[in-house]
Amino acid sequence: MKTTRSIVLSIAATGLVGFAACGTTFPPQDLVNARTAFARANSGPTPKTDPADLHSAKEQLDLAEASYAKDGDTQYTRDQSYLAVRKTELAEVVGRTRQTDKEKNGVVNAMHADEKQAVASTSAELGRTRTQLANQNVAYVAQGTALKDEKSRRQDAEKRAAQASADLAKFATVKQDPRGMVITLSGSILFESAKWDLLPSAQLKLNDVANALIKEDPLSKMVVEGYTDSQGGVSYNQDLSQHRAQAVRDYLVTRGIAGDRITAQGFGLTHSIADNKSPEGRANNRRVEIVVQATDPSLSLR
Amino acid sequence: MYKSLFSLVILVPLLGACGASVPPPTQRLADAQSATRSARELGANSEPAAQLSLKLADEQISQAQKAINDGDNKRAESLLVRAKADAELAVAQSRERGAKIAGQVAVDNSAAQENTNYNQGAEK
Repeated sequence: MKTTRSIVLSIAATGLVGFAACGTTFPPQDLVNARTAFARANSGPTPKTDPADLHSAKEQLDLAEASYAKDGDTQYTRDQSYLAVRKTELAEVVGRTRQTDKEKNGVVNAMHADEKQAVASTSAELGRTRTQLANQNVAYVAQGTALKDEKSRRQDAEKRAAQASADLAKFATVKQDPRGMVITLSGSILFESAKWDLLPSAQLKLNDVANALIKEDPLSKMVVEGYTDSQGGVSYNQDLSQHRAQAVRDYLVTRGIAGDRITAQGFGLTHSIADNKSPEGRANNRRVEIVVQATDPSLSLR
Repeated sequence: MYKSLFSLVILVPLLGACGASVPPPTQRLADAQSATRSARELGANSEPAAQLSLKLADEQISQAQKAINDGDNKRAESLLVRAKADAELAVAQSRERGAKIAGQVAVDNSAAQENTNYNQGAEK
């Protein structure tokens, strides 16, 4: 029984082999697959991305085709076809891998370029900031110097003013009022009665006044104001006070006070500071006031 | 007895034609196994397409080993040729996966870098 089956099997096998050798009109499925796969790969990106492996696949397909043409649907034909399918797929995969690598490199390169750009712009920014800081520093130093200059200028001015008022205090009253520093000189030490020529002794006193004023803030303006008592007419006194103020002003100019800094004005019998009924009061009202207008209120004398 | 002798007469030439004269394809077996090892090392089992190719290769290798044991060396050779091609495809597919991951990492890094640059004051 067993041998009978063997015979039947072997005959059937021989028949099958013979049938295959004669060649059917249908190519084996493996070969069909190989043709389809290659056609697909060949029309896609693979000829560009992996031409070498695709060429190997083509050679493999040619082997399969040749085997089929010569021997028909043999195991060899099928094996070669199978290899052609796999080689084709391999070419496609390798091609895609290369493409992916290329894109990755593009991204990486772009990233590096960005990074470089960022570093460059950051360092440029840093450079600008440094320059700004340096400039600011220079400005601060300059400002500091200016502040120092200003401070010492103030200190000088205060010192000069203090000295000036100390000098003046010896023979005149010096006081501070809303007009500025006011130096009041008694009329009797400057002029003879009803005259406006300076007495020789008055000139000595005025020399001290001039020296003190020269030590004053050189930018301040001065007004010499003349006043009389109430004896005599208004216009007479006005005239007298004007001349006396002018005389003092002119003398101070000859002692070195710049002419454009100092003016004279007479006020006559107005603005009395004492009672005109008593001789002492009238004597106090006869006076010349030198008003030093401070350029900066904070620099005014005490 | 006669009958079995008869069948032997028929079968022996057939066997000869099929592979009795073919030596065991040990070199091909080694090549195919080496290729599957490479594919596994490259992470073929993490990529579905590569995993399938590797599985086909493994299956054909074990079929080939069985065929060798059965003395059908010709069939074994055929299976091993296919197995090697499958394993090589699996290798290429694993590499493709690696390239895709590297590409994604690059894109992510690039985005992160761009963000970092922006936070540090660069223009977008």
